[in-house]
Amino acid sequence: MPERNALVPSPATVRSVIDLTPDVKLFNVELDDPSERDRFDYRPGQFAFLSAYGVGEAPFGIVSLASRKDGIEFAIRKVGTVTAALHDLEPGASVGIRGPHGNSFPMESFKGKNIHIIGGGIGFAPLRPVVWYILDHRADYGDLLILNAARTPADLCFASEFETWAASPRTRVELTVDKGDTGWQGRVALAPDVVKELRLSPQNAIAITCGPPIMIRFTLVRLKELGFADDQIVTTLEQKMKCGIGKCARCNVGGTYICQDGPVFTLAQISRFIEQF
Amino acid sequence: MLFFSEKSLTAWLNHLMLDRTVLAPVRGTNDLVYFQSITNSEAIFIKSQNAALSPKDWFFPRSETIMSFITKDGKTQIIPATMEKDAVIFGIRPCDARAISLIDRPFLAEPVDALYQERRNRTALVGIACVTVCQECFCTSMGSGPFDPGALDIMLTPVDSGFAVQVVTDKGKKLLEKAIIQDRELTLPKPPEVKPVPSAGVTEAMRRVFNNVYWDRVADRCIHCNICAFVCPCCYCFDVRDYKGKDRIERVRSWESCESALFTRAAGGHNPRPSKGARMRQRFAHKLLYFPEIFGELKCTGCGRCVRNCPVNIDIREIIHDVQKLARE
Repeated sequence: MPERNALVPSPATVRSVIDLTPDVKLFNVELDDPSERDRFDYRPGQFAFLSAYGVGEAPFGIVSLASRKDGIEFAIRKVGTVTAALHDLEPGASVGIRGPHGNSFPMESFKGKNIHIIGGGIGFAPLRPVVWYILDHRADYGDLLILNAARTPADLCFASEFETWAASPRTRVELTVDKGDTGWQGRVALAPDVVKELRLSPQNAIAITCGPPIMIRFTLVRLKELGFADDQIVTTLEQKMKCGIGKCARCNVGGTYICQDGPVFTLAQISRFIEQF
Repeated sequence: MLFFSEKSLTAWLNHLMLDRTVLAPVRGTNDLVYFQSITNSEAIFIKSQNAALSPKDWFFPRSETIMSFITKDGKTQIIPATMEKDAVIFGIRPCDARAISLIDRPFLAEPVDALYQERRNRTALVGIACVTVCQECFCTSMGSGPFDPGALDIMLTPVDSGFAVQVVTDKGKKLLEKAIIQDRELTLPKPPEVKPVPSAGVTEAMRRVFNNVYWDRVADRCIHCNICAFVCPCCYCFDVRDYKGKDRIERVRSWESCESALFTRAAGGHNPRPSKGARMRQRFAHKLLYFPEIFGELKCTGCGRCVRNCPVNIDIREIIHDVQKLARE
């Protein structure tokens, strides 16, 4: 028998559950076995499977940073059966964690560059560890622009952190919503239009984007109009997955397995996929 | 040449059954031949051509509990499934053994599929050469052949009143320790003729016709029964679900087909591969394009089962032929 069975999760306990938006909760989870906590080292962009015992298992981007050593966090939108079961959990509940899986954002190769982070809705979740990483290594990176977009002001994820982010040197936080409400005095515009309006510069820059497919599609168009080359645009993909270890073939797109070859890809890599989604 | 008389073969199999699971082709009441666990070698039926289904499901069952969760005093215990006894698959054909060696490529790649690996390590494959072929066979075009011992531990070739024995691996050699085998002159039968399909260069041809409307046209008549994937000896897509039992929760893995409409459908409804044509292309592209790109081999063994079983006559031999033709146009 091998040391670890890659399909078997590790027992873990939910430490806290915080409402981020009306349908997104932030779960802080800790592995029960202290030696497992050391083994579970992860990088920004990696994902893990969470088990709601008896309902099932699904993959989620990890939204915390291993180096902050403060539990493993997941921002989860209630959208299907597993996420609904997870949303019913309270602090102290038992869950299973399996991972970390996948590649990660190449933070090393981003060093010295200006970083534009463009996230929409729950799509901002996998980008939060990138923000945190840059804030924790602020001197290593150039200017940081964070554009967080959502349908309504209430749907903006991580709102409680915006002030901290904006207080970091050479860091700008821009917010936009598709539809405002009575208390909203900020921008009302679609994310791709904001990208255009802000005239993001491709000069020594990387644009990292994640969000709903329609937002991604038009954000890519705007970025390219602004002069970003395909290898300056980085995104993280999601696909239905059952194993995360290159077996079940659910996430197979072209010859690529999103779970192992990704989930992080440059636009240059994605445009080489023979099957285009 | 090593020779197994029918009598000593039977004695050997009965001996193996003492402490092993022995699977062999057995004729069912419906006249179809399936691999089953046997307790008496008289049940074995090897006169027919290949079994209706390959013994793939011994390693990768159509539905199996891969782990159980038991909660006691608020603590959840996770119990992975394991294998009880060592096993022997007797009477497997070269194509089906090759199919298992193809599934090995992804399943034994790091990180390994532990349960599959255990079954693979603890199971020996005793194959029988095909002296006749089915109408739909095309194994010789898919890297194998009626007499190919490549993926077996022991190869038996039918000869007069017994079998010629070829020991292929150490595992096979060990298994034969208690067997009564004679060394004698034998005349081996000639391998049967297998009708070829134009598989050479099909990977490049697939690349070239990837965006052809051809796929929508072929898929038009597909009725989504998924039988092609379920009878395929080397299809390995799967699904995983939890089931709540009385005192435990079981996590169950089941066969799945990439042609199923729900295969890529995410929670919330987004389906990145919504059309039938794209899903049918996925199946053939995985076999003839992606798997060869990753592992260097076509993911088909030419067993002919999908051809025999498809209710609307979608025929992989025809697909290969068409793809080659379209790629030349």
